[in-house]
Amino acid sequence: MAFIKKADGFVPIVITPPSSLEMPNFRELWDYKGLYFFLVRRDIKLRFQQTVIGFLWIILQPLIQMLIFYVIFGILVKVPTNGIPYQLFFLSAFVVWQFFTQVINNSAYSLVGNIGVIIKSYFPRLALPLSGIASSLVDFAVSFLVLLVFLLLDGHYPITLRYLLLPVLLVITIVFSSGVGLLFGALMVVFRDTKNFLAFILMMWMYVTPIMYPITLAPERFRVLFYLNPMTSLVDAYRWVFLGQGDLPKISYLLISFLVATVIWFCGAIAFRAMENKIADVM
Amino acid sequence: MSQYAIKAEHVWKEYTIRHSLEGPQTSFKAVLNAPFNWVMRRSSKYAHLKNTEDFFALKDVSFEVEYGESVGLIGRNGAGKSTLMKILSRITRPTRGIITLYHHVNSLLEVGTGFNIELTGRENIYLSGSFLGMKTSEIRRKFDEIVAFSEIEQFIDTPVKYYSSGMFVRLAFSVAVHLTPEILLLDEVLAVGDADFRQKSFIKMKELLSSGATIIFVSHSESAIKEICKRAIWLSHGEITMDGPAVSVVDNYMQSISQHSN
Repeated sequence: MAFIKKADGFVPIVITPPSSLEMPNFRELWDYKGLYFFLVRRDIKLRFQQTVIGFLWIILQPLIQMLIFYVIFGILVKVPTNGIPYQLFFLSAFVVWQFFTQVINNSAYSLVGNIGVIIKSYFPRLALPLSGIASSLVDFAVSFLVLLVFLLLDGHYPITLRYLLLPVLLVITIVFSSGVGLLFGALMVVFRDTKNFLAFILMMWMYVTPIMYPITLAPERFRVLFYLNPMTSLVDAYRWVFLGQGDLPKISYLLISFLVATVIWFCGAIAFRAMENKIADVM
Repeated sequence: MSQYAIKAEHVWKEYTIRHSLEGPQTSFKAVLNAPFNWVMRRSSKYAHLKNTEDFFALKDVSFEVEYGESVGLIGRNGAGKSTLMKILSRITRPTRGIITLYHHVNSLLEVGTGFNIELTGRENIYLSGSFLGMKTSEIRRKFDEIVAFSEIEQFIDTPVKYYSSGMFVRLAFSVAVHLTPEILLLDEVLAVGDADFRQKSFIKMKELLSSGATIIFVSHSESAIKEICKRAIWLSHGEITMDGPAVSVVDNYMQSISQHSN
């Protein structure tokens, strides 16, 4: 779609056949900012209404996971964590991982999950996955508070200036997960088995990311393979913030992660745009 | 020079129909089988195995609508009315051709766009209004008016799932008619609610028209088209059969139908 400026200010909308490479229209996305707010409100309200324990579920979910992994890897297997209590070691990475997968899932299901309104009205479709980020952030805020409580109760992990890096890490995480989610959202329109595929990939991805074990457990010569996964260095950086373990992540490295995440985001957004043009025709 | 609201130039829309049980989406398995199927299809001996078929829902449709005009779209099921409305509302894109919209467009293809039964009436007004392209400030300004029009004041903070179907439709329609479009695309939504409410909606439509809005209206009710629209376009098999004054187009259309059934 192209825009031609008219003298009286309104820009006539030109509807053309879709081309295969279309960039997201950021100006239009901005015009629909009210929609994000009400979408996020809808998501949050529905999520809390559906479960009996509602809000409590956000707190319980990471805690139960933590308990299970603590029993298996902290007590039974005794994974070496360089003196850090295993609960804290696990939880400090897991809250991030949970946020990461939630953004991916929200984005991936955003087109097929809102098909009813998509085939009956026009609005920038990207508003759906983007509003999913905000509702995931609400969950992250809660589980982050849980983590903080555990860190402070332990007494050895005070809040330091390192936390200033947290917003930077969050931005990289958001851009990366949103990009991956958009790619899956596009796939979902064409292939119905993407659902199974996605759940499987996310599970495998968690195992190859040092969340329940430290990267030092991997043999030195394979370690570089782990760092091909952008989440490895991100999780490392989060642990540096929360636990003060390891070195300050290199600025150049963070910059590269951000660039990679941005490239993936644009690839995802373009694939998503291509599929949003198709979805009303195939469903 | 007259002022155009919509200009459609040689619009085509092609759909692919799948005959297999696979349904609209494919699976990864189908992708793996694709090369094999392709080879099979190439040999004419197996041509009947081809499980997709392309057809044109719109064929070379061109028309112009002037600002303030009210145009009715008529035609049998499958004539391409809905496809044309979907393209004009930007829900789907044409396969070929160009459409220019010179004014702000709102489309109303169903009652209750974006409604969620778990949310309250108040929340749904805001959500549905946003989906339909209203700014939050605009919804806030018209909120009381929307509620009053729908006649459900005392239930506005009740989840919509407890509404009767009549209440639901009234609220949904009330949001819709409070859009202030310059171009309104309307698909058979006039026929909702009881007789009283229909009458109210009808008057609201006429108000919109007299305020200078452009309306494209799809309906199976010939009398509604005659009453609301000055002009009508008759589509059949994706092509424009007739385009002219509503009364004569509708009469011709009716005549062709009765001939057909005799």
